[in-house]
Amino acid sequence: MVGKFSNWTRKMFRIHGRTRERTTLVSLLRTFQRILELNNRVLEIMADMGDKLGGDYVFDRQYINSSCRQMANLVYELIYNFNTLAPKKYATLDDIFREINHDIEEELAGRLVIPRTDNVMPYDIITQDFADVVGSKNANIAEIKNRLDLAVPEGFAITTRAFKFFLDHNNLQLKVEGILDGWKNEKITSGEASKKIQELITSGSIPPPLKRSIEKALKRLQHITGIHDLFLAVRSSAMGEDSEHTFAGQYSSLLNQPQQNILKCYKDVLASTYSPSAMEYRRQKGFSEHEVAMAVACQCMVDASVSGVLYSLDPLDTAREVMVISASWGLSAPIVSGKVNADRFIVSREFPHDVRGLDIVRKKERFVAKEGGNCESQTVDEEMEMKMCLTDSQIRDLAVAGIMIERYFKCPQDIEWAIDHRDRLYILQARPLNIKARMADMVCDISSVSKKYPVIFSGRGTIVQNGIATGKVFVVKSKGNLDNFPNGAILVARETSPRFAKVARKASGIITDIGTSTGHMATISREFRVPTIVNTGVATEILKQGQEITLDAQENVVYEGRIKELCYYGFMEDAFEETYEYRLLRRVIKKITPLNLLDPYDKNFAPLACRTYHDITRFIHEKAVEELIDLNYHRYFDTKAAGKKLKSEIPLDLIIIDISGGIQATADTSTVSQDEILSVPMRAFLKGLNSPGVWSREPMSVDLGSFMSSLTRTFSSHQVSPRHVGLNLAVISENYANISLRLGYHFNMIDAYIGNKINDNYAYFRFLGGVTDPTRRSRRAKFIYETLAQNDFNVDLRGDLVIGRIKKLSPQLMECKMHLLGQLVAFTRQLDVQMNSDHQIMKFVGEFEQLARMGETMNGSGRETL
Amino acid sequence: MSNEEKMSILVLDDEAIVLKRLKPALEKAGYEVEAFSRSSDASSRIMEREFDIVVTDLKMEGLDGMQFLTQVKEHSPKTEVVVITGFATMDTAKESFKKGVFDFLAKPFKLGEILETVKKAEKKIKQAVTT
Repeated sequence: MVGKFSNWTRKMFRIHGRTRERTTLVSLLRTFQRILELNNRVLEIMADMGDKLGGDYVFDRQYINSSCRQMANLVYELIYNFNTLAPKKYATLDDIFREINHDIEEELAGRLVIPRTDNVMPYDIITQDFADVVGSKNANIAEIKNRLDLAVPEGFAITTRAFKFFLDHNNLQLKVEGILDGWKNEKITSGEASKKIQELITSGSIPPPLKRSIEKALKRLQHITGIHDLFLAVRSSAMGEDSEHTFAGQYSSLLNQPQQNILKCYKDVLASTYSPSAMEYRRQKGFSEHEVAMAVACQCMVDASVSGVLYSLDPLDTAREVMVISASWGLSAPIVSGKVNADRFIVSREFPHDVRGLDIVRKKERFVAKEGGNCESQTVDEEMEMKMCLTDSQIRDLAVAGIMIERYFKCPQDIEWAIDHRDRLYILQARPLNIKARMADMVCDISSVSKKYPVIFSGRGTIVQNGIATGKVFVVKSKGNLDNFPNGAILVARETSPRFAKVARKASGIITDIGTSTGHMATISREFRVPTIVNTGVATEILKQGQEITLDAQENVVYEGRIKELCYYGFMEDAFEETYEYRLLRRVIKKITPLNLLDPYDKNFAPLACRTYHDITRFIHEKAVEELIDLNYHRYFDTKAAGKKLKSEIPLDLIIIDISGGIQATADTSTVSQDEILSVPMRAFLKGLNSPGVWSREPMSVDLGSFMSSLTRTFSSHQVSPRHVGLNLAVISENYANISLRLGYHFNMIDAYIGNKINDNYAYFRFLGGVTDPTRRSRRAKFIYETLAQNDFNVDLRGDLVIGRIKKLSPQLMECKMHLLGQLVAFTRQLDVQMNSDHQIMKFVGEFEQLARMGETMNGSGRETL
Repeated sequence: MSNEEKMSILVLDDEAIVLKRLKPALEKAGYEVEAFSRSSDASSRIMEREFDIVVTDLKMEGLDGMQFLTQVKEHSPKTEVVVITGFATMDTAKESFKKGVFDFLAKPFKLGEILETVKKAEKKIKQAVTT
């Protein structure tokens, strides 16, 4: 444990005199304190940036730039200070910092950082952020799968980067541009240009690395689905295809293709980028040709018995508040292109989604997958022709999924779906329904509309996720009642709970009494994009179960009644989540905030596992504390000269060294009394150590067996350093204490920091050594383990070594914990000698619990604060 | 001006996200809003009509916010100007106030803050009309 200090430090201590040693230790503690400060600043800025995603703030690029740079400076300084504390030990941190910083700078410069698996991306890792890389069709379907947990066909995306790679590999860029110039200068027709370009593409060769990536992705699909001979739908997923501009139907979709055809299909879909109609369309809409980049979706075919299209809001009559479902037997392609007759269902947008109207037509044909590949039309059996092709429960499932998708994307949706022969619903595609023009009349004067509704409360609480929701209040009080959470209700709760993740997909809004913008609820709300206000103080008091309300988590108002117009007004705005700045902020936050280093005992708790600034910060914080704990203070002092002996009623030979502000200035030069100690953790610890009852003065009856054992036992070097044995020392400052205590035959070490900032606070307790045989020692260790665990410590038990850690509590609670450690140290002084059997462990746990409680009552701190 | 008539607001900021957020928020609060991302466009617009309130960024390409608000104040002294900026310094704040700016907000700000500021400006304008 020694040797953590570099050679230069040691040399310095030897060369210079006592005062110098003291200053160096002071400066080390200062470095440590600076690390704590920086750690806090990093966490603050992280929280601040997260706040901005909530939607309550108006921010711009400048904010994102300056926050990122501020963050980089702080983390850099953190590493610098840490290197002073633990020189050369973690040199790789510098490189990791540089990598993360580089990625962030690339993002800020407008260059998307794509993971290395860049030609092909499986749906599991695709988010909206990659919309430019995988096309919006792929991005939407992946979000629906990953966030909303609805079934979509398994598949992967071949990215726009692969498209460019293909063109470069075949030297096509210039050739294509040349042909297009000819068309634009009216030297050739669009048909001729298209034919030439498409020939170039279909006769091109797939670059070998791309081919390998596609083959790998296919293997993975085989593995996931358990199907050896895959049949795939290969669809276009062009940039901008689904969003503002509808290229619907311009590009190719090839259905039911055997996997061995995939490379050819891929080229065919790429070639469809240059169909005459697509080229004309782009010219009309003012797209420049270099903006064109085609990504492709490769999805397993769904064995559809019935399929169709759902509009989550009737585009022809938005005021009617209904959705429209078209459905027919077999695959949906002919419905999408309007080639077959389909049943039509008019369904309420409100759960339980009653069917308001239906139109059952004669369905003579169905489009089905052919064995061996491709599709064909088949005649429908006569008795099926007029049969309604959806059941009530299928209609309801579809409607629920439709509203869920609409809520997530904050816009009415045009959804392609299929139900397979095992009655499983799959979402094949979802894109925004373009109804802005029609909505405009309905919501012409939004301010006068909302004025008609009574405000229940406004300006209370913090918006953590922006948006508008209408629905019935569902108050969550006890633990059990989440299972019957109604679809589309607004969740109202006293405090936030990780359990809400379960219902976040179903909730249209969330309001809590207590909570913070950086808490767990905020993360969940953002993940599922549920409009959320936390910390309102009054929600559960004022809002009634079942009451209809409108939550405006943009203006921070809760209205009585449903203001549909407000909802529709929200549909007309570009969703905040779809703005470039929002996406940029979210992308940079991904390099900053996620925490991958969770368990300090894990072997992956190492610099190389750091992926984000948060990881680096966490690692340094943890290791800096460790450095301090393991610092061999004896080395730095002539303890007799530097320290003061503690005046104490109990037989405790303790020397205290004050680094700064730990002892009252007027104190005597050679001794110090308990009252004169100002150090917060030390004071609390000593109070515990001296609390009544725990310090047994009775001579212990050591039985012969254990006595003999104690004689033969020597302290092994890895457990207790001989330097430590026989000296009780505490190094303290105003907020810090490092206490080494040998009591009886045990060695205790406590290292703690208690200040006003909750994030700084920690207490570390280590217990080992001791007389008697190994069984008894381990019983005692188990007793300590149980006691610490019951008091919320994070405990690690290895043989008879016990390590307990606790951190990030309020100063008051931290003091309670130090008090408890004091009591525990006293209580266990000779406990192992008494531990004759295993069942005594819990007996002593109970006994100690009682004593501890008694001590607290006398100290005036209630049990509930522990 | 009657109380029923909507107050008119011109918003100028070269970052689209700011306009996207401010326009609907102000409209929902009952104002009539025109939004511009280019100062030259906004500049020609204020020559065509008078706005009750102007909300402008400071640092922009071309004609900067300080020049723009100077124009606004020269052309229609009654218009109240609210400055929003990501580069807030004491100097720019002082200079803005010297030019008769109603208030100065540093970005990022909460929607509630800008609404409150605009409401105060509205109140001032209405008082000026009645007295």
